[in-house]
Amino acid sequence: MANGTWKIARGKGSAQLSMAILAVLAVGLVVLGKAQSQLFDRARAYYSDAIAPSLKSVGKPFDGVANWFGGVGHFFDVYQENLRLKAEVAELKKYQAEKQVLNARIQRYQLLLNAVPDPAQESITARVIGRDNRPFLDTLILDAGKSRGVKPGEAVVDLRGMLGRVFLTGDHTSWVILLTDLNSRVPVVVEPGNMQAMLTGDNSGQPSLQPMQQGAQIKEGSQVVTSGDGGLLPNGVPVGTVVWDGSDWRVALLADASSADDVRVVDLKQPPEQPPAVTPNELPAVAAGLAPLATKPQTPAQAPPPSANSMTPPGTYVTPPSPYAIHPPAAQQAAPKPAVPGQPAPNADNSNDDQVDQ
Amino acid sequence: MFDRLDISFSRSFAAVIPFGFAILGVILSNAPVSLLRGAVPPPMFSLMPIYFWCLVRPDLMPAWIAFFIGMMEDFFSGGPPGIWTLSYVVTYALVDRERDAFAGLSGLGAILGFAAAMLVATVCGWLVAAFVYGRLPPLSVLSMQFAMSVLFYVPVAMILGRVHRKFVGPLRSDF
Repeated sequence: MANGTWKIARGKGSAQLSMAILAVLAVGLVVLGKAQSQLFDRARAYYSDAIAPSLKSVGKPFDGVANWFGGVGHFFDVYQENLRLKAEVAELKKYQAEKQVLNARIQRYQLLLNAVPDPAQESITARVIGRDNRPFLDTLILDAGKSRGVKPGEAVVDLRGMLGRVFLTGDHTSWVILLTDLNSRVPVVVEPGNMQAMLTGDNSGQPSLQPMQQGAQIKEGSQVVTSGDGGLLPNGVPVGTVVWDGSDWRVALLADASSADDVRVVDLKQPPEQPPAVTPNELPAVAAGLAPLATKPQTPAQAPPPSANSMTPPGTYVTPPSPYAIHPPAAQQAAPKPAVPGQPAPNADNSNDDQVDQ
Repeated sequence: MFDRLDISFSRSFAAVIPFGFAILGVILSNAPVSLLRGAVPPPMFSLMPIYFWCLVRPDLMPAWIAFFIGMMEDFFSGGPPGIWTLSYVVTYALVDRERDAFAGLSGLGAILGFAAAMLVATVCGWLVAAFVYGRLPPLSVLSMQFAMSVLFYVPVAMILGRVHRKFVGPLRSDF
């Protein structure tokens, strides 16, 4: 192609002037971006919505190749890996059994204390359709957006622990800011000790841990879970383990964003549930074969404040005389006799039939 | 008459090529898919056409294209606005100012020339990010991106050179 006649050289002065104008515009964009960091967010949400279908199809072969590459390294240690996993499964089964027992005990204590339960958690399962690791952004793109109820601020977890939180939602996609991202700050608790701290991402693989209290004693190997402060994130979600890198406390994360494929978006933006009404069936005394006092059902407005009895430990629970009590003989004597054997008396409270039957 | 139309079309097509490759670089760099599942950051493909054509045909790669491509990079990369816009403009200004020195490089020198331009862009991006975030960002990911970009510049420069010869014109080294 003949192009020898093209003018390649440019006027030096005009070029410098345009460069200066562009530099000023660029600086203005930086300042504007600092003031309005969400300048491009809406457009980015539209963009991710638009490319989501193609990302799903394009991402599959990429994932396949990535899995293959990732699996090559395991060819030679698959036997040892299998043994290690078996031992880990056995260990986890033990913990699972303990967890079930402890969960049941906590539920029973909450019932006895009439404690307000944790806010209900609804979650949406979403698939990771994109992942970016850039100098100033560490993110995942999910295939669930506003249309499925995903909202900015919600926590994103996988089976192992917390990955990050949603920071941008389109109609059908959402962007997740990972815990390792430069912009990420998550309030956490270091256990044991219930030590409040802030988990701050800095684009390294292990975010730094900054205790809230001065002179806090952190031990390596302690567990880090979310604190739930602020009411956006659930509390108690496993995050990782404390490690010391020689100059700073950091957290080795449990979740691995590079291998996460299906994740849960946890919605906590619901008002805390009202404490459930304590039904006599759920009290330990009933479980022990001691029927509680039969009371008429009351509306929440009429319900009296929790009495001292409801706070009494199970072993000392005092059951007032009940017309349907089985064990206390005095109560049996005071109870009106049914007109027909096996049927309650006409003036008896029918709402307690279930208790008698049970 | 047909000859003039043909020449006009060819010129237009040739003028669009550098811009098109820069846009393609933005898309490739920021495609949210990765063979390594995001273990390493992608190369900055968009800076390569800017550097290449700023040296060989600056009339086809004016400063405003560098500005626009930087803005696109900011938009698609998801970071704070302005970081790469300013970095690209500063890098372009430096390369444009020292064009004769850069354009005279060949072989390993050409790669080092791009490495110098990439280093300017990286350091500038780091400084702007420090201003935006109010603290010094870690250099690890930026360093990896720098290394990946320099590594990938070799095949990309070969492709750009072929495309330039075929559709735009001879390179400086061809004279």
